[in-house]
This record gives sequence, C-alpha cells and structure tokens, in this order.
Amino acid sequence: MNLTLPLFFWSEYRKRRKRAALITFALFWGTLSILLLMASGQGMTTQFRVSTLGLGETLVMISGGQASVAFQGLPKGRRIRLYREDIDYLRERIPEIRRIAPESYNGWPVSADGKEINRSVHGTTAEFGLMRTQVPQMGGRFFNAGDDREGRKVAFIGWNVARDLFGQADPVGRRIIINRVPFTVVGVLMKKIQDSMYQGPDADQIYLPFTSFSMIDSQRYIDRIHIEPRRADQSKVIEARVRTLLGRKYRFDPDDRYALDVWDTIENAKEGHAIFKGVEIFLGIIGALTLLIGAVGVTNLMYAVAKERTKEIGIKLAIGARRRVIIQQFFLETVFVFAKGTFWGFITAFNIVHLIRLVPINYESFGIEAYLVRPVFSLQIFAAYMVILGALCFLAGIFPALKASRANPIESLRYE
Amino acid sequence: MIELQGITKVYQTGSQSLEALRGISLKIKKGEFISIMGPSGSGKSTLMNIIGCLDTPTAGEYVLDSDKVAGLTFDQLAAVRNRKIGFVFQNFNLLPYATAWENIELPMLFDGKTSRRRRERITELLNAVGLYDWRDHRPSELSGGQQQRIALARALANDPPILLADEPTGNLDSKSGEEIMAILADLWRVGRTIVMVTHNAHIAAESERTINLFDGQVLS
Repeated sequence: MNLTLPLFFWSEYRKRRKRAALITFALFWGTLSILLLMASGQGMTTQFRVSTLGLGETLVMISGGQASVAFQGLPKGRRIRLYREDIDYLRERIPEIRRIAPESYNGWPVSADGKEINRSVHGTTAEFGLMRTQVPQMGGRFFNAGDDREGRKVAFIGWNVARDLFGQADPVGRRIIINRVPFTVVGVLMKKIQDSMYQGPDADQIYLPFTSFSMIDSQRYIDRIHIEPRRADQSKVIEARVRTLLGRKYRFDPDDRYALDVWDTIENAKEGHAIFKGVEIFLGIIGALTLLIGAVGVTNLMYAVAKERTKEIGIKLAIGARRRVIIQQFFLETVFVFAKGTFWGFITAFNIVHLIRLVPINYESFGIEAYLVRPVFSLQIFAAYMVILGALCFLAGIFPALKASRANPIESLRYE
Repeated sequence: MIELQGITKVYQTGSQSLEALRGISLKIKKGEFISIMGPSGSGKSTLMNIIGCLDTPTAGEYVLDSDKVAGLTFDQLAAVRNRKIGFVFQNFNLLPYATAWENIELPMLFDGKTSRRRRERITELLNAVGLYDWRDHRPSELSGGQQQRIALARALANDPPILLADEPTGNLDSKSGEEIMAILADLWRVGRTIVMVTHNAHIAAESERTINLFDGQVLS
C-alpha cells in the first residue's frame, strides 16, 4: 500500500490543524456529551437492578389480608391468617416454587454492651437469606437450616444495628439480648443499596431462626411468606396457585384480591426496568441527535473549509492533481479531525466516568445520587457509538470532498 | 507538438454570450519559444488555458502530441497537466502553508514518484534556481523573484516537454524579471517548448516567434 499521499495529506492537515481546532473541539464536546449521557443512562439502569436486588430480585411476597366477599357461608371482613405449616403445604403443591420462607416480626428492645435500642426482630428460615440478598460481611454468616432445626439462639443483624450496639467493634460472636433472651451474633449484613422495603431498610433489622423467634414471640400466625419462582415468568402462575390453594384451605374466594396481599417484585422490577430502559433510550436519542447536529456542523465547516481553500484546489488541479486526490485529501482530513476530536472526547469521558464512580454511595440515605454516581462505560456503548460516528464521519466528509473535487481549475485559480 | 484548428471559446453569462476566442488556428513545433501578445481582453489567457488543458474550447480541435484533447477525461487532462505541461503563473500560485521544498514536491507526489526520486529532483531544481538554502522557507518568507523561481522549479518537477508561462515577469522588478527570462531562455536552449503570454514587447523579443491576438483572433 502506497502511503505517500496519505502521509502528505497528514502533513498538510498538521500545518492547518489550528484552523480545524473549532471542529475538533465540537467533536470532542459531542463525544464527551454522548458518552457521558449513555454511561449515565446505563448506570441508572444498572443501579436500579442493583437496588432491586437489595430486596430480592425475583420475589413474590404474600401476607394475609381480609376477605372482602362472603364465601361458603362465611362473612366478609374476616381476617385471613397464614401459618408456618403453609410453607410446606405450598411447597409440596406448587412445583414452580424454587424457594419459600416464612417471616414473622415484632418490635422489641435489643441490648448489648450496656446499650439498648428498639428494633424490628424477624423470625425466618435459612432460605430467606438467599432470597432476600442477606449477604454477610467477612467473618460472619447467615443462620442455616441446622440453627432453625435446633432452635439455636443466633442472630444475623443489619449494619446499622451493629454500629448502634457495638460501634466499630466486630459483633460476630458477641451476645445481644432480645426481649430479655440472649442471642449470639453470627453475622452482619454487608452494605447494600435497597430501594424497596417493609419495616424499614434491612440495615436496621435483626433476623433470628424461626424456631428461636417463636420461643420469644407469642404470635401463632406468620406475617409473610416469601416465594422465589424457578423462573421469573412463573410469578403469576404461582400467585394464582397460592390464591387457589390457600382459598381452599382457609375458605376464601380465590378471586378475592383483598384476601391475600401479594407483592410481586418481579412485576415491579419489570415496570422499573422498562422506565429506566426508556430513560436510557431517551438519553441515547438525545446523544445521537447531539452527535447528528455536531456532524451537520462539521459538514458545514468542511464546506466552508473547501470554499476557503478553493484557490489551493485550483493550484493542485493545475499542476496535475486527479479528482480522487482532492476527494481523498478532504475526506481524510475529515477523518483526522473526527479521530482527534473523538479520541480526546473518549479519553475524557472514560476518565470522568471512572472519577464519578469513586464517589462513595451513602447507604444510610439512599437517594438519587446513588443512581447518578455509578455510570457504566460499556463496550457495547462504545461500539454503537463508533458505528454511528463512522457513518456520520463518512457523510460529513464525503460531500464536501466531492464538491471540492468538482471545482473548475480556472475559476478556482481566480478565486481570492 | 501543439496544433490548434479553429479554436473558439464562448463564455455564457445568463442570456449574454462573450466570444473570447474566434477560430484560432496555430501550430507550435517542438522546441519553439513562442510569445503571445495582445491587449487586455484579447483572449491571451483563455488561449493559454486551452493550450494548458485547464479549459476546453467551445469549438475547434486541439491536438497535443498527436492526441485529440477533446476526447480526454478530467483525470486524463490532469495527467497531461502533470507530466507534459508545466505552468508558471503571474502571481506564482504557490501553496502558502507549504515550504519551497514541499511546493516543488507536489507535482511529483501526484505523479506517484518515489521519495528518493523526489528528493533528488527537488535538490537538483533548487540548485538550478539558486534557492537550495531557502528550501524550508514558506512563500511569504521569499521575495517575488524567489517565489517565481520556486514556481518555475515546481513547473519543471516532472520534467515536462512544454512550459507555459502566463506573464511570468508581470509581478516582478526588472532585475528579477531578467533572471526569470534568463532561466526560460536556458530551458528553451536545452530543447523545451515554451509558450509565454506577455504584455511586454521587450520580453516578447526574447522569443523566437510572437503571436499577436486582438479580439480573440490572431493578427499575425
């Protein structure tokens, strides 16, 4: 491949690069804007997914409600209660269930090291830990099936509880008193972002094995059943089956929406994901339009450059430049300008994204900043950007280049 | 070498038409030094542009080296301008951002000459016009005479058999003009065909033959 002419074009471009500084800056700014917009959009979607995971990604939560219609001779207004035995009852009858766990809670005084606080204390099983993203910090664990079976006095506590009772000290292995009964802390919840909750964030909760919890709690029924389907798309089937089975067991109309309170996080996640995906697409469109406007500007400037260089084109044609030489030169100059502007735009955007990601997330007051400070710079974004950019670069370069090549040598030489 | 038969050039401006050349016929033999004279608007530059393949006639036939120019494409005409014809303009027409060396290099780049051949030829030409030490200077750093010598070197870069000079001394002081004429005379003596447009009868006297134009026609 003969690089003589491209190298010559490069040397000519370098001589005039100061004149192209404005175009280069426009492309730098356009690239920076679109990449930051798209990284923010994808970051928000990712953060939404992460925050959804804070509660549990594919989770159907069921609690007892109130019958709103009379059924089989029973009056309306009757409270529907759920019991621990319903866990096995549902597990045996609904094969789509992957995991299922009961949950009961009560508010009690909790003390350790002479400090006392009031917190919600929950009784549940080991499967709850997996379903509700109860990931322990290093050196700890969530309670297991053995703890529940044996009724061991162990507790898994949120990081705020750990801080309030023990300060900076490691709570694992330490004793806490719940409702006057001593428990040993076996794990502390790892910090996480959580946008959905009941009874407050998990950071403020204390979890006990269900058997142990039942020993200190007088309530016979359970507050909530957590179900994780085998596949996310099975949540509606499971909900219908639960209403039918429990309706039959507790004698309420399966179609009575108030008899059971069902919280389907999968449906919520779908809606949220759709919203954030919409925001991401919207930001992408804004970015693409910005880039398009930039490309139109570059085309315009390249036309102006071609006009300004009419005489130069005339001289080149007069001394024997072929049409394709003029096309190549103008086209390659556009490519050089695009490459320079976008390269620095890319480098700057990449570094800004990484700098923003260094901003710590405030887990105590999870707000909008948690969505904004974790932009994601993905290869897909960059690949898509390069494809759009390539097309725009081609369009911005080829038309001024063709126009320049069609110049009349005589008229071009006379141009001042 | 150059044969024009009934060359006519009409410029159309809206509904008005201007006949710049009216049926010009002339022959220029290889190795001749011709000057074209005439008052402003007589069609000298138009004729020069047609001979130089920068413009095409409205009617008539132009044969260059036995080839009919009318049948050549844009790029074939560019190749003719690149290899067979060297141009020297009144206002030099050098690229302002390029050095003397780069300006001379340009026609050879368009011809695809190797870097070694380019380097040797530019060195030879810069020495011939006495400006080797000025090779890295841009046109704005050179005097009018020096610029015209660089333009002459550029015109000779691909060693064309024909040199077309349009008022080559028009923008120069008399000393520089004489230097340029001396170079042109030397080039003619070594066998190059030279066609020069001039207003100046004294300059035209240096040529072998003078063609006088008036109102787009040859007077003598």
